[in-house]
Amino acid sequence: MAVGFGLVTASIIAIASVGLTLQFGVTNYVNFAYGDFMALGAYFAWQVNTAFHWSIWVAMVVGGLGMGVVAVALNRFVLGPFARKFSGSLIYVLIVTFGLSLIIVNLVEAVWGPTYKLYSVPLENPYHLGPLLLTKDEIIIFFLGVVLMAAVHLLLTRTKLGKAMRAMSDDASLAAVTGIDTRRVTAITWFLSGLLAGVAGTVLGVNITSITPSSGETYLFVIFAAVILGGIGRPYGAMIGALVIGLATELSAVAIPAYKLDVAFGILVVVLLVRPQGIFATAGKA
Amino acid sequence: MPAFVFYILTLVVFFFVYTILTWGLNLQFGETGILNFAYIAFVAAGAYITGVLSMGAPKPGTGESYILGAHVPFPLNLIAGGVAASLLGLVVSLIAFRRLRSDYLAIVMISLATVCYDVVNNFTPLFDGADGLNGVPQPFVAAFHLNANTFLYVFPFFALVVAAVLWWFMARLTSSPLGRTLRSIRDDPDVARSLGKNVFGFQLLATVVGSFYAGIGGGLLIELSAAFNTSAWTTPETFIIFAALIIGGLANNVGAILGALLVPVLFVQLPKFLPAVPGHPALVPEIANMIIGVLLLVVLWFRPEGVVPERKRTFASILVEPTLPSEGLVGVFGRSAS
Repeated sequence: MAVGFGLVTASIIAIASVGLTLQFGVTNYVNFAYGDFMALGAYFAWQVNTAFHWSIWVAMVVGGLGMGVVAVALNRFVLGPFARKFSGSLIYVLIVTFGLSLIIVNLVEAVWGPTYKLYSVPLENPYHLGPLLLTKDEIIIFFLGVVLMAAVHLLLTRTKLGKAMRAMSDDASLAAVTGIDTRRVTAITWFLSGLLAGVAGTVLGVNITSITPSSGETYLFVIFAAVILGGIGRPYGAMIGALVIGLATELSAVAIPAYKLDVAFGILVVVLLVRPQGIFATAGKA
Repeated sequence: MPAFVFYILTLVVFFFVYTILTWGLNLQFGETGILNFAYIAFVAAGAYITGVLSMGAPKPGTGESYILGAHVPFPLNLIAGGVAASLLGLVVSLIAFRRLRSDYLAIVMISLATVCYDVVNNFTPLFDGADGLNGVPQPFVAAFHLNANTFLYVFPFFALVVAAVLWWFMARLTSSPLGRTLRSIRDDPDVARSLGKNVFGFQLLATVVGSFYAGIGGGLLIELSAAFNTSAWTTPETFIIFAALIIGGLANNVGAILGALLVPVLFVQLPKFLPAVPGHPALVPEIANMIIGVLLLVVLWFRPEGVVPERKRTFASILVEPTLPSEGLVGVFGRSAS
């Protein structure tokens, strides 16, 4: 049973953590507003889901695209300029993202209210898949994660854009010297990061059945745990990290339901003590 | 007591408390460069410990449960709160500082704050869960036969005394050679290390002393309001203090005072006394929080050194400036001849 939930949770964490780690790889600073990106995307989806009665999956795409556009705008007008201004001391950009987090969470609260919202999702009987008992929504979330991970893999290995992203992740100035339009690649990366955040925020809401302005923020450290486990800036590491964290939190939910997410923090601390560069990271960056 | 006086006196105490909190964070981030995104958790540790040490054992029948219930006499419970926060800081830094670069540390800290919140919120035997501590005995009330109102005439003076002592200590610390070492670690830990400085040890020290300030501030908070629960220390609260510090001016104890007056007092506590917008009870604080975020971005962009910049510490103030022999040499030093 718990394994089934674990795989679904792992899917959600994987979508979110790949979005976070892609952006870190290219820009080289951590986005502490990422949890609020997830919440904002989830609220966009809620808006079209309830106002226009669109299916939650269509709404999810709208939420993801909307968040992607917001992320591009934030990079263009706020984060990009700050990252160039403080390129020698990116620690200030972390504070800028922290500040953005405060702004977004209060904006969401002011627009949609502080209480929780429910997606309009039809109730369904769960299916038996071998030993697992899962609802249709959970099965869709799981396969959505698999498909998105495959898409990210193809993007990174088969396209020129993916190659440019990997090059920037290895060495941004070297990539610029070889003629890569780093600003354009950065903008597209922010779009992808926002898109994945919006999708992850929505499926998180579908999975735990409600969304609140701070639901992304409270989940953020679980995503950090998966990202660091795999080595920050490394998309494949984040996928494996998500699988480990997803299974670990849901399996521990059997014994300590109230603290299942805190297990992720325990794993995070142990990983950082034993192998600060991440379990799956190679030497070099981060 | 007129409501107006009540508000003003409450704001005065908040001002002293947040000044103390900003000094503590300044020592950690402004002077030493430690990005402690869990700062509010240390404030909470001080508040809870001060609280339980004043409340005595949990009364049967009230359904309250908390650890360490005792009747510790007044200034000692506050100091115990500070020490508790320091101990938490010591444990965290022993685990986190030895190997982590600054952004990993920030991730661990922000996660730590969330997890501490989670555990205290869910595990009621610790500090009564989400209900938190209520009816904490306030100092002087029993001794001087005060009530909830007259208490506010006395408490600001006490907060002032605590702030003055902590100011004196922090001013000594930051202007001493030790303060210079901390700033060198902030500017470049590798250089500091190459000069034989034990970077890890100094970071540990800055965290422990800064956490003590956090704990004292937390203790004063719980004594002011006689209650404390988990809603008072969510992660955005840490950001408020960061905003105060950066807007006031990093590595400057006077700037911290100004920042504490500007951000937490004017933008966070004062709006709580404003009338709520009908139908939107939380709209005023939400807008205030957004303004703080925007204000921080504006200050970082146009005046990253803050309103009161860090004092340039040069030897010029110690050494007598040599008289220069000829105008030619003056030219070499790039000064005007006049």
